Amino acid sequence: MVGKEFLTLAMNIGEQMLVSGAEVNRVEDSITRLCRAYGATRVDVFTITSSIVVTAQFKGGSTVTQTRRIYNYRTDLDKLDKLNNLSRYICDQKPDLTYIKRELEKINESKTYSILVQHLSYALIAEAFTVFFGGQLVDAIVAALIGALLKWLISLIQKAKINIVFVNLLCSFVVGILAELSVKIGVGHDPEKIMIGNIMLLIPGIALTNSIRDIISGDTISGMLRLCEAIVLASFVAIGFGLASAFFGGI
Amino acid sequence: MSSAVQIMMAFLGSLGFSILFNIRGIKLIVAALGGLLSWAIYLLAGIILNNPITQSFIAAALITIYAEVCARVMKAPTTTFLTAAIIPLVPGSALFYTMSYAVNGLFAEFVDSGAYTLSLALALAAGIVVASSLCRIGTVILQ
Repeated sequence: MVGKEFLTLAMNIGEQMLVSGAEVNRVEDSITRLCRAYGATRVDVFTITSSIVVTAQFKGGSTVTQTRRIYNYRTDLDKLDKLNNLSRYICDQKPDLTYIKRELEKINESKTYSILVQHLSYALIAEAFTVFFGGQLVDAIVAALIGALLKWLISLIQKAKINIVFVNLLCSFVVGILAELSVKIGVGHDPEKIMIGNIMLLIPGIALTNSIRDIISGDTISGMLRLCEAIVLASFVAIGFGLASAFFGGI
Repeated sequence: MSSAVQIMMAFLGSLGFSILFNIRGIKLIVAALGGLLSWAIYLLAGIILNNPITQSFIAAALITIYAEVCARVMKAPTTTFLTAAIIPLVPGSALFYTMSYAVNGLFAEFVDSGAYTLSLALALAAGIVVASSLCRIGTVILQ
């Protein structure tokens, strides 16, 4: 049955879009268009940040339902771009299923920046925001070093597959301790400025903004879920830094 | 510290995040330039307004138009340019201080700072939604 197999592929595309950082309504829209292009007379899609449910009625009366549970996100805007182009191409040209499968595999294997470049970007972000919030050059250099270390720490902890909230707590604590230490040994000037650069790497600021955007756009449930996630993550980042400061008798 | 340095740092910060979000090729520079522009607009609006929330709204709205135009010219989703461009405006530090107050039991400060953080996020989100809706209406009229 073409409907069943096709819906699986359409959901693969939708799932990958959501994981890569697409908005909820874009995912719903893409899945609906894809199914309609392949002969669905009615498509009902319900997407929230952690799940996708689709029921499609195909010509001839067959009805197919499939669901997906999404556990992890990895923002990859290059992949999102390619998935977008693929889904547009499928709607226009209606290629056969093996072609879609092959293209999807190709997209899943497309490359990201090298580990070295990723470490450097962490350093760059930490340095940039330390200066942005008024830190001195020495603070910026210390922040950059801690930033690169932070990336290394995150990749290390993620191998153990522990809860993201705890990853944030631990990373914030370590960054806080390192920032305080650097000032104690006389390298850095202002621990708060060194921390703020690295905080921008850990705090879910974009998630907070996007959650409000979802709510305004009418995806209330997704927005509320994301808002809760952002607040929980942010409070554990604050606890991590709070503990580190408490060690040094601060705050 | 001079505004020029801050604007440069907004560019570098957005560049860093654009790399982490795997934006590639010429789009990387365009996305990072969005970060520079958004902070420049925020500071420019500050000359007349001196209100972070209204400034954020205006900067978010204008940068959304920038992202929509870039998306159409470069044939990529708007998110690609928008996500990187709003980074300097995102209330990351405000959110952090809010939760720090909560963790340290400073509830009066927590409420004040929390309301401020939410207002900033709301202003950004509203700016984005308003501008992208206007862009959509604009494209319909032009066609």
